Amino acid sequence: MIMEPQKRISSKGLIVWRIYGAIHSFFVLLVAGGAIALTIIFDWPIWIIGVALLVFALCAYVFIVLIPTIRWKRWRYEVRENEIELQHGVFVMKRTLVPMIRVQHVDTQQGPILRKYQLATITVSTAATVHEIPALEVDEAEELRFFISKLARVADEDV
Amino acid sequence: MSEPRRLHPISAVINCLKQLKDLLIPFLVFVVFGSKNGLFQLIVSVGIIVIVLIAGILTWLRFTYRLEEGELRIEYGVFVRKKRYIPFERIQSLDLSEGILQRPFNLVKVKVETAGSGGEAEAVLTAISKAEADSIQQVLTSAQQASFNENEEFNQEKPKEEIVYKITFKQLLLLSSTSGGVGVVISAVFAFIFQFEEVIPYEKIFSGLEDVISSGVMMISFLVLIGFFIAWAVALIGMMLKYSDFTVKKVDEDLIITRGLLEKRQLTIPLYRIQAIRISENLVRQPLGLGTVYMESAGGSLENAESARVMLLPIVKSKEIMGILSPYIPDYCFDPVIKPLPNRALRRYLFRGLVVILPLAVLAMIFFSPWGYLSILFILLAIVLSYFKYRDAGWKVDDQQLSLRYRSIIRNTVYMKRNRIQTVSVRESYFQNKKDLASIEATAMSGTGGTGGLVADLEKKDACVIYQWYSYTKSEEFLKEI
Repeated sequence: MIMEPQKRISSKGLIVWRIYGAIHSFFVLLVAGGAIALTIIFDWPIWIIGVALLVFALCAYVFIVLIPTIRWKRWRYEVRENEIELQHGVFVMKRTLVPMIRVQHVDTQQGPILRKYQLATITVSTAATVHEIPALEVDEAEELRFFISKLARVADEDV
Repeated sequence: MSEPRRLHPISAVINCLKQLKDLLIPFLVFVVFGSKNGLFQLIVSVGIIVIVLIAGILTWLRFTYRLEEGELRIEYGVFVRKKRYIPFERIQSLDLSEGILQRPFNLVKVKVETAGSGGEAEAVLTAISKAEADSIQQVLTSAQQASFNENEEFNQEKPKEEIVYKITFKQLLLLSSTSGGVGVVISAVFAFIFQFEEVIPYEKIFSGLEDVISSGVMMISFLVLIGFFIAWAVALIGMMLKYSDFTVKKVDEDLIITRGLLEKRQLTIPLYRIQAIRISENLVRQPLGLGTVYMESAGGSLENAESARVMLLPIVKSKEIMGILSPYIPDYCFDPVIKPLPNRALRRYLFRGLVVILPLAVLAMIFFSPWGYLSILFILLAIVLSYFKYRDAGWKVDDQQLSLRYRSIIRNTVYMKRNRIQTVSVRESYFQNKKDLASIEATAMSGTGGTGGLVADLEKKDACVIYQWYSYTKSEEFLKEI
């Protein structure tokens, strides 16, 4: 294929995604725990406990280890003078081109977890779509936001 | 026209009626489930109506608009005074309609649409005289023209009117009888029936009918058939009223669309606001060689999706589209030649069509035999649909235009200009990668959201060609290469 975008997102992003994954699997844990508790209370067959634990372990592995790793490995982006290129996807690889003159505005966002790791997410909005570059170093994100918004200002065509 | 003006007083009445309509359901609930104390209910009801009346009149009194310094300035609000100034250049379209209440007084309702105005139209002038609407329109167009051709000479010629398209009665009949409106009517009827299940004692009504029903399935099927026919007829008449006198005119650089018999609507769209053009051919129309042409424009709002995707030619022979539109929309090339997908994509399409339905069908056959075997029909349908999806999919890149064709149920062909496309994506899954296939998606703007096309399983090389064609970085060298 054509030359791939080169820049990766911060390696701390991987840790953050693992934390998200842990939060997700916590809900699975709740359900599994509920199933186990019910099994003990109502004397249901013992294999239910085994299945519940297995499902939990599998979900935890997928959410915490597998998906974040693949996702992080695959995430690439590049901001050029006249376009932004993104490449990401776990099962389906997706590459997107966003020309600078189509960019309407740029935001940076930061949740509590991202803040703890000094990361921020950039969202780039066009008139029709919204794109995200997740988990960048705060300084880099700020710089990028400034860069994009400066370049995007050239837009003089209608929408 | 700089002094503030009010709307026609009839708009006070319209405001009240609208409020009352919104209150109708809570009101019904209140009456039906409220206390049995009649007097109390009466007082509250009258009170509410009086309040609505006063509110309607106050709203009308407070609402003024004026055209000043290149802006449409509206001031309104009963308790909180609000001012809304809309610069002329930001106004995407004026949407004129005449409701039943406006008609006797020769008035129109004007909706002012701007790009991305979110939930509702940016401003609505509920009732103003036609002459006034015309003058607003003129001020607007001249202002927009002036800013648009700033450097060019402003010629004082009268705008020339050309009729692009006018619906014939035969077409109107075809349009109405092949529309999907039937489904809407049927589901509305069902919804209505179930809505009032608790109020209307169906069981009592039908207990008398039980003998009749047990007397034969024939009878029921007959009734159902009649029901469907009536629904179809209702939809037909509705569509005929809505689209009669459908006319597209080109005046200067605007397209003006008028339609409707009871409620006349007029829509003005500047040509340069067109974001994409879409041809849809539904299952009934495609075999007859008929299609519908839509124009995606940047104006509009969520509630009024109609002004974002404007029907340009409601029903027309697909072959004739190029002839009709080319003289008026010269940028677009409606060439029907579309590059097809490679043969090996067919298997992917079949897989995608069957992956959900096959296991379900097998389960149905195992657990619900013998009736479960009917699900073979669904499998066959899925196979046929997948095949057609494969066969119809295609793409084409001209100099500055991308054409994508794909089928969901109806066949869509989308024509987009490079400088109107907001983003282009290429996707490939693991399986696609193995077969050297990729999907391409292009998004253009439509109203407040996006529209566009996604064609699955192109030759990966071709997907790259489209991607490269769109890329702003390498495009110069790339275009030379071709």
